[in-house]
Amino acid sequence: MKKTKLGELEELVLLTVIVLKEEAYGVEIKRELEERLNETLSVGSIQSALKRMEEKGFLKSEFGEATAVRGGKRKRIYTATPLAIQTLEEIKEVRTLLWASIA
Amino acid sequence: MSSHEAHIGPPKWSTRLLKYFLRGQYLEEIEGDLEEVYHDLLSKYSKSKASRLYHLEVLKLIRPSLVRKFSGSQKLNNFGMLKHNLLISIRSFKRYKTTFLINLLGLSTGLAAALLIFLWVEDEKSVDTFHEKDDQLYWVMSNFSINNDVNTWDYTSGKLAEALLNDFPEVEDAVRVGNGFFRPRGTIKFDEYYFEANGLFASPNFFEVMTYEMLIGSPANVITDKGLVVISDEYAQSIFGTIENAVGKTISWDNRIFSKEFIVTGVFKAPPKNASKRFNVVLNYDNLIEADRWADHWNGGYAQTYVVLKEGTDIDAFNAKIADYLTINTDSDRFHLFVQQYSKNYLYGKYESGIQTGGRIENVRLFTYIAIFILAIACINFMNLSTAQASKKVKEVGVKKAIGANRTALIFQFLSESILLSIIALVIAVGLVKLVLPQFNTISGKELVLSWKEYILPTLLLVLLTGFVAGSYPAFYLSRFKPVAVLKGKVSNLKGEEWIRKGLVIVQFSLSVIFIIGVIVINKQIDFTQKKSLGYERDAIITFREGGSDYSSPQPFFDELMKIPGVLSTANMSGDFLAADDNNSGFSWIEGTEDDDNHLFDSPKVGYNFIETLGLEIVEGRSFSRDFNDGVGSIILNEAAVEYMELENPIGTKIDWGDDREMEVIGVIKDFQYGSLHKKIEPLIIQFRERGKQYFVKLRPGSETETIAQIEKVFQGIFPGQIFSPTLLADDYKSLYDSENKVADLSNYMAGIAIIISCLGLFGLAAFTAERKTKEIGIRKILGASQLIIFQLLTNVFTKTVAIAILTSVPIGYYVANNWLQNFAYSTELSWWIFAVAAISAMLLAWLTVGIQTLKAARQNPVDSLRAE
Repeated sequence: MKKTKLGELEELVLLTVIVLKEEAYGVEIKRELEERLNETLSVGSIQSALKRMEEKGFLKSEFGEATAVRGGKRKRIYTATPLAIQTLEEIKEVRTLLWASIA
Repeated sequence: MSSHEAHIGPPKWSTRLLKYFLRGQYLEEIEGDLEEVYHDLLSKYSKSKASRLYHLEVLKLIRPSLVRKFSGSQKLNNFGMLKHNLLISIRSFKRYKTTFLINLLGLSTGLAAALLIFLWVEDEKSVDTFHEKDDQLYWVMSNFSINNDVNTWDYTSGKLAEALLNDFPEVEDAVRVGNGFFRPRGTIKFDEYYFEANGLFASPNFFEVMTYEMLIGSPANVITDKGLVVISDEYAQSIFGTIENAVGKTISWDNRIFSKEFIVTGVFKAPPKNASKRFNVVLNYDNLIEADRWADHWNGGYAQTYVVLKEGTDIDAFNAKIADYLTINTDSDRFHLFVQQYSKNYLYGKYESGIQTGGRIENVRLFTYIAIFILAIACINFMNLSTAQASKKVKEVGVKKAIGANRTALIFQFLSESILLSIIALVIAVGLVKLVLPQFNTISGKELVLSWKEYILPTLLLVLLTGFVAGSYPAFYLSRFKPVAVLKGKVSNLKGEEWIRKGLVIVQFSLSVIFIIGVIVINKQIDFTQKKSLGYERDAIITFREGGSDYSSPQPFFDELMKIPGVLSTANMSGDFLAADDNNSGFSWIEGTEDDDNHLFDSPKVGYNFIETLGLEIVEGRSFSRDFNDGVGSIILNEAAVEYMELENPIGTKIDWGDDREMEVIGVIKDFQYGSLHKKIEPLIIQFRERGKQYFVKLRPGSETETIAQIEKVFQGIFPGQIFSPTLLADDYKSLYDSENKVADLSNYMAGIAIIISCLGLFGLAAFTAERKTKEIGIRKILGASQLIIFQLLTNVFTKTVAIAILTSVPIGYYVANNWLQNFAYSTELSWWIFAVAAISAMLLAWLTVGIQTLKAARQNPVDSLRAE
């Protein structure tokens, strides 16, 4: 199989999913990332990143509980797959090596 | 978070939009997310801002990975149906190639013609509309009543602009410019080089009212003083190289009104292509007053007056207020003022008896109708060919209905077929337009470009409309069939449908015959204007103007000219001969009375030898002559004037003019056509002026080019710095009919297109009929019918249809042609042969088109046609 690539935003979203654990659903990911990056993100950009990664096999998802704030609609909780973790590590390794050669 | 806030849901329509485009499986999750987001927003911002941001979030969700797919089980509404219809359309195009090609050819040429006409019409409509205050900018016109007739003049007193501004609160601003006759031309000299000038006298606030773009200098203070001028960018470039170099330079300008030096204070952008007024220098109106005090007098007609009216001014009320304004200020009650929107004057510039009667708008209308007719003819082709093939399509309709298609879906299918066809036709049409636009521009004298930005919307509308009109009848007709009857093979009511088809062919051919009649009449009239004997010679005569301010005797110039062997005769006059716009009133010929008749006489002012050079015929008395020392007191009448004045012995009659001039009739000339044939031959008083600046030279045939070169040499020697641009009098006369010539050229082409499209349709129908009757023909041939009989059998139907078309169109054609010829005082006859030629050529064309198909069918071997089962 061709090696699947991760975009910059995708990588950030993926990491956030891992950080948030059971709370990793759309809006929460958006809030967390907005806070860390100190910029506003749209629901659309987060959602499309999530859907793309789910298609590529980086994420799995299942419905969580519904709340009143959500107008009775269920959350979709995302979890990273082993493939995602492996890819993230690969990326990190490449970057570390690159930084090492700069120094 | 209060419970109150929790109840405010996100805006409804955004959520609905979301439901429409979002993929079903994502809906619950994302909708929930969004509600949460909305909640967060509400806690931070006001409700309206929160809603706004929410809408934005929804819009940002429209991305490929989240919206529904165009195919598959999650497709957008109706897309599948559309795809199916498209497929069916393309298959039917492939199966009926001839029909498809005929339709495509017809629609695309029709659309191309319509697009060209559309561009032309839009351009005509845009003339002069670029001024910022276009809707408030009005032109003050004056109706001059004399002898139960009213002449409408676009010029007024030079004093009017300021007076209107002072006396009427509705007037926000006012401008006067020198009228056409008082335009300074001549040449401008800079650094020993001469440049042809085309000037305009104008009030200092000219550029504030008429917003020609100012490139250098401020509109308010470029011509504040008599010694200042502002020039166009093109002119600045040709004189000074760059526009920046122009400012502050001194130029000297010599023309028939003044000869002075000016300082250039600014540069304006040359009037755009769609400006009716063209000029390259603008100077202060005071210069005209300095040269001629009448330019600032209530009794002079030296200026065109433009006013800016306050927004919301009631024009009718304002017209009523100013109507008698001149009566107070002049000693005459014959002038009545009214205003006309400045930009309207280009299209609506014709007045008869003081009433607006049209103008260029007539051509605009004419061509709009032609475009509509051409498109209609192309649409009719489509209707006819698709209904003719109904018998082939009914099975499809039957099956579809049987498995549950409703009528709307079928209508939609047929409409999408015709709309698809017209979109394909549009692509070809645009290519065609691009291809022929240069030629079209030459014919129409315009510089049109096909710009998508402006025209994409109207073009698409036009195409959709065309597709809809063309497809509507077949769609409603075909979708009506009852499935049971159709599948059983019973297709009823084909008779009625054939009648409609015949009716449509009649409409097509009627239009074509009217086009043919129109073309013949227009061309015949043009030929008539060119060939009609006008009563004077115009073939070997060149004419040119000397534009300087020197008014000394032209005799030395004439003497030099006569030394050239190729020159037969020379003459001059003041004013323009062919424009025929020089007129005077106030002549009185009955002794003892004063101003007894207020007739407005055409009154050209000519020099010695004019009558001889142009070959006008003296019937009584003599011509102007040096031997008799003629002065301004000598006049010559034409026969019409003698008749009008009821003079028994015209020679020697004394005629008073105004208060202080007595003139004597010295000769009578035969009537001749003064001006274009739009004008009737009117009573004429020819006056004498020795020093006119319009020259006429009669050339000896054979060596024209050399002679003209020699004349130029003499001209440059005597009038240094003036520009010599001779034209043939015959050409100038031809250009009086420019507008008619353009209409004629354009309508020739358009008529051609209309006829070709009609014939295409007929060709298709004939092919279809021949095909349907293959078996009948085969049987008839076996039973002994000759080819001729078969041929007659097939052509008879069409012959009858075309004959009916001819019968209906001839009266209409007669009416239209007659109406058009009313525009001319002298016109060609509407002889019977015009209609005969139109009828016969339509019939021949029809036979020819049908004949090709029929012949093929008639010659077919019956064995082939009968065995094919």
